[in-house]
Amino acid sequence: MTPRERVLTALKRGQPDQVPWIENDVEEEIQIALMGGRTDYTPGEFCRALGMDGFGYHFPTGSQATAGQAMQTSGTAAAKEAWYHPKRVTFDFVPPWIADMGVDEKSGRTYVKRGLLTDRDSLRYFDEFLPDPDHPGRYDQIAEWLAKYREDYAVFARIRLGSASTFESMGLDVFSLMMFDDPDLVKEIHRRFSEWSARVVQHLNKMDFDFIWANDDHADTKAPWVNMEMYEEFMKPSQMLVAKEIRKPWIFHSDGNLFPILDGLVTLGMNAIHPVQPSAMDINTLKAKYGDRVCIVGNIDLDYTLTRGTPEECEAEVKGRIEKVGKGGGYMISSANSITDYCKVDNVWAMSRAVKKYGKYT
Amino acid sequence: MASEIDTIRDWVIKGKRKEAVEAARSALAAGIDPGVIMKDGLIAAMSIVGQKFSSGEFFLPHMMIAARAMTEVVDVIKPLLVGEAAAKKGKAVVGTVAGDFHDIGKNIVKMMMEGAGYEVVDLGVDVAVDKFVEAVRSEEPDFLLMSALITLTMESTRRTIDALNAAGLRGGVKVGVGGAPLTQKFADEIGADFYGADAYECVLACNRLVH
Repeated sequence: MTPRERVLTALKRGQPDQVPWIENDVEEEIQIALMGGRTDYTPGEFCRALGMDGFGYHFPTGSQATAGQAMQTSGTAAAKEAWYHPKRVTFDFVPPWIADMGVDEKSGRTYVKRGLLTDRDSLRYFDEFLPDPDHPGRYDQIAEWLAKYREDYAVFARIRLGSASTFESMGLDVFSLMMFDDPDLVKEIHRRFSEWSARVVQHLNKMDFDFIWANDDHADTKAPWVNMEMYEEFMKPSQMLVAKEIRKPWIFHSDGNLFPILDGLVTLGMNAIHPVQPSAMDINTLKAKYGDRVCIVGNIDLDYTLTRGTPEECEAEVKGRIEKVGKGGGYMISSANSITDYCKVDNVWAMSRAVKKYGKYT
Repeated sequence: MASEIDTIRDWVIKGKRKEAVEAARSALAAGIDPGVIMKDGLIAAMSIVGQKFSSGEFFLPHMMIAARAMTEVVDVIKPLLVGEAAAKKGKAVVGTVAGDFHDIGKNIVKMMMEGAGYEVVDLGVDVAVDKFVEAVRSEEPDFLLMSALITLTMESTRRTIDALNAAGLRGGVKVGVGGAPLTQKFADEIGADFYGADAYECVLACNRLVH
């Protein structure tokens, strides 16, 4: 099987020739470290070196993005222009946060200082911040990169369903209070983000991507930020606007414990769930309850194993997941979030070796 | 009196701020001690909210509106509190550690600690070790509560405890830590006094240690 066939088979809950390995993101600093300091490698070279079966996100070819800035931009005129005409290799199609952003001087990571969507008057920021989803620039440029770099790998575009945009652009405190004070405002904000993403997806459907990865954090390790009733009322109707437009296989990503709202979430029709944080969700329970409906992606621990553990512990964890969850297919190895620049390089190599050593289906 | 206090407590739990304030005003007009309203109405309400949050019955928005309702009732009764009733249960300094900009968990802890009757000094996010140490020196809190959401930043909790030791301040403050990558084992390893798996556990730990 080619890497692409392997991933697409697993996404359909089938059993490929070996357990695929894909990552939602590999931060550029660690990409470069894994490639021995080089910055001129292609996405395919990177995948071959590690044994990964697909890619999306961004690469330093051209110019290196600073940590944390690659995926999420803030809404300035310059940011809009950067969205239309990306200079470095990226496959991302996420909208900016409508927020006052800060930048950590040491790491270059961006963070939300304050969401700007706090009342009805602030709805004017949508025009100011969101790029035109029909502007051809980004689609044309990324189609060129896709043709140039895709080889036999499964290539994905990252989008949002609109929930993370709503949480971050309102702030969780304002979002929470507005659910009671002005529920229609919350619904309108979510709908506007989702309509934007739905329009983007219509363009992505015509491109040569193999699948889509929707990133919308809904939860912390303890619980989702809303209960099922709130999810069904405030989020799902808008998320469905995006989901029903997607014509390719797709993965849903949210950190944290999704179990309390998972019965509602899976009706969106995603093919896979990622990242299954070990500290938040038991992957065996997930497999038992939902393994007949979704492919499971992830669960290699980022809180300890990849970041503070030993190569031996990484190998053991990969082996364990493959043996237990990979059985019969419908599982892809991945970190329980992404390969961040604070993972140990030796541990990522241990993960790579373990996928090759234990991943083959017999 | 019990029914009036129960009414205030129930409105706060439901997050109905106008009704809670109205019930508090009625109780005051009926001569009920504002200290009793604080203890048996508001602090009791937020304890129940914390339990419901911890058990999975309540979610973040329920906590937020309950905390807002409590704050609005406190505004009404605070000028009337005297003596022991006006005193806080204790003082806590809270903050998210250096390099970490996540504030949700820290804000929930702050909210729950205030709801439990503590004075809270919030240092915000990306708090440097020196800033924590200086706050312990100047504020003389009973508790220092540190939050870290990513593995990259959790070592800051250890460095802060080491710095408190070096400054001779460690003995005067109980240190609690929490956040996604942290565990009881890690808390023990760095010499923290306690680990809170969630905000309510943090409050319970402080309640145990403050007495």
